[in-house]
Amino acid sequence: MTAAAPRPAQQTRRSLRTETLEARPVNLDGFVEEWPEKGLVAMESDFDPQPSVRVEDGVITELDGRSRADFDFMDSFIADHAIDVATTEASMALPSVQIARMLIDPGVSRAEVIAVTRGLTPAKVLDVVKLMNVVEIMQGMQKMRARRTPANQAHSTSARDNPLQVAVDAAEGALRGFAELETTLGVVRYAPLVAIALQVGGQVGRGGVLTQCALEEATELELGMRGITAYAETISIYGTESVFVDGDDTPWSKTFLASAYASRGIKMRFTSGTGSEVQMGNAEGRSMLYLEIRCILMAKGAGVQGLQNGSISCIGVPGAVPGGIRAVAAENLVASMMDLECASGNDQSFSHSAMRRTARMLPQLLPGTDFVCSGYSAVPNSDNMFAGSNFDTDDYDDWNTIQRDLQVDGGLRHVREPEILAVRAKAARVLQALFEYLELPRITDDEVEAATYANSSNDYPFRDVLADLTGAQQVMDRGVTGLDLVRGLEATGFHDVAENLLTVLRQRVSGDLLQTAAVLTADFTPLSAINDANDYAGPGTGYRLQGERWEELKKLRHVTSATDPETEVD
Amino acid sequence: MSTPAPPTLTVADYPLSTNRPELLRTPTGKPVTALTMDAVVSGELTAEDLRIAPETLELQAQLADASGRPQLAANFRRAAEMTAIPDAEVLSMYNALRPRASTAAQLTAMADRLETTYAAPVSAALVREAAEVYGRRRLLADDEAESPAQAATSPDAVTPALAADQTAADATTPGSPS
Repeated sequence: MTAAAPRPAQQTRRSLRTETLEARPVNLDGFVEEWPEKGLVAMESDFDPQPSVRVEDGVITELDGRSRADFDFMDSFIADHAIDVATTEASMALPSVQIARMLIDPGVSRAEVIAVTRGLTPAKVLDVVKLMNVVEIMQGMQKMRARRTPANQAHSTSARDNPLQVAVDAAEGALRGFAELETTLGVVRYAPLVAIALQVGGQVGRGGVLTQCALEEATELELGMRGITAYAETISIYGTESVFVDGDDTPWSKTFLASAYASRGIKMRFTSGTGSEVQMGNAEGRSMLYLEIRCILMAKGAGVQGLQNGSISCIGVPGAVPGGIRAVAAENLVASMMDLECASGNDQSFSHSAMRRTARMLPQLLPGTDFVCSGYSAVPNSDNMFAGSNFDTDDYDDWNTIQRDLQVDGGLRHVREPEILAVRAKAARVLQALFEYLELPRITDDEVEAATYANSSNDYPFRDVLADLTGAQQVMDRGVTGLDLVRGLEATGFHDVAENLLTVLRQRVSGDLLQTAAVLTADFTPLSAINDANDYAGPGTGYRLQGERWEELKKLRHVTSATDPETEVD
Repeated sequence: MSTPAPPTLTVADYPLSTNRPELLRTPTGKPVTALTMDAVVSGELTAEDLRIAPETLELQAQLADASGRPQLAANFRRAAEMTAIPDAEVLSMYNALRPRASTAAQLTAMADRLETTYAAPVSAALVREAAEVYGRRRLLADDEAESPAQAATSPDAVTPALAADQTAADATTPGSPS
């Protein structure tokens, strides 16, 4: 949202303070009044339905005031797949305030809350979270997030779709701590080369990092099937039937797609977010959060393990209305209380104000989520092909300092420059060797040198785009798979990287990464909501930033030595 | 899909790759321990060996059930059925389920094919349910206009790629520079 309104001509003298405030970046942001009739309202609307449910003969015959004959396809899908028919009447009979209190009461376990939430309708869930302020929402998130250990996800893209940049920035991002790396393209035909670069670069930075390439659904699945990517999340769902159809999908097509991914052993989550329906012009007069709750329940009904939400590419919409960022925090909480993995936004950029950008992420960073950002830009925002991110490489030191100040784990760490240069140089050499092995367009030594020290795509020599696109097509025509990449890495002498990639591919055979909120640790142990279940039960319990990890996060670029104030510690 | 009934697992068996590797086989019948670098280099392994077997998806479904996630378990059981369907046909079936891509008869034929050719009754039920809802919500292709439903039969009918994190929404995203 950009600031648009021309202001009235200046007739009278203005104060110098007003002029100073006018010049602040926050006033470049766009803000609008609520318009509930059109759904331009965060979460408090008289036009949202009242909670209700009726069960007859084991079938839900009324949902939030609508009878079965009048169900649209979202109602049908949610009634028949998401809501637990056996418990719904009992759960719905609980006062909303009691459920809201359960969410923040450390004496009530996560499992006890989920035993209730599995029977709730969308309007009832909204009624519950409407009672909660942001601190309570955070308190709920701390207990309800699926995985005990928080993590983070990065974007690694290039304004020139330069595969070399994607590889080295993926390597650096992985080394800094991202558990998942995501790329996408400016020129879609570049996808095979860039996806290969991301996969290989990631494994250089830290073995076990998972990668994905965001593309149209069918293409994304194809790259996954070939083993060139490890997971997928660009599977968009929407909260109204009309917008879902405009997106050329239905809950059934998306459910089929979810099973298709699982049938190939590929981790997958859906994507949704507040504001998408009103932005696409058909919110059917419902609040943004009500519609997002329908998406979350649809995702649960589909049996997908997780969801990327938190407005994502529509953040400008909730960001423009009162209470919008509270609603965004609430949608993350709802995903978690529905027992889904939550990759919690802090993704596309939404504000010119550094203060506002920081405030926007605190409700996810402070309690911790499965992925605090579902796309922290591990490249400068000028190279971010997801239309920018709320945080980018310029913010690395700030992020690390905030982790240290507040003693919270946002998934990253400070890494000394020599280590970073070493993995960047190695990732560049690995990709150079692999391209040669696969008979793809050459990566020169000059490019390797530039990549090692580069910041943005402007710092790299130009590539021959036509030759690259021909090479990309050959990757598809020749049916290159992840196994071919392993073979190439081994043949070119990068045995450790080959082993890392093979171990990631082997995970598909076990299916362990299909379980809720799964990531791979540095020793290739799958960590999910099953073996790393969130056990928060009040002060002193759950995930605590302490021990070795806390020592790691105490390190920053400049920390003065306690024993010798003239020096800095490494 | 021929092995005897698998053991009943508990959450303590997760992750299977470290706790129960002896239960894991490739669709080609190799134990997971056979997926070594030597086997890759010698050309013994093909991409088929790096796929998940339907029996493994059933094991993961048991783990999902044991951890209180029935919908996730159902997803894994549909997935187990779909392991038998070739990649191109999986994609074309997905495309055929898009709104107004298929007639009622075409969806019924697809459900029948899932049931008879691929022994996939759970997935077939999902398609039949879709046909019923699409009929009620006017999301079937017109019977006269047969062409959009080509997707149901042509494995090559993959829609053009479009890069976006949230495809349709991005098309109208207001500018938000940083």
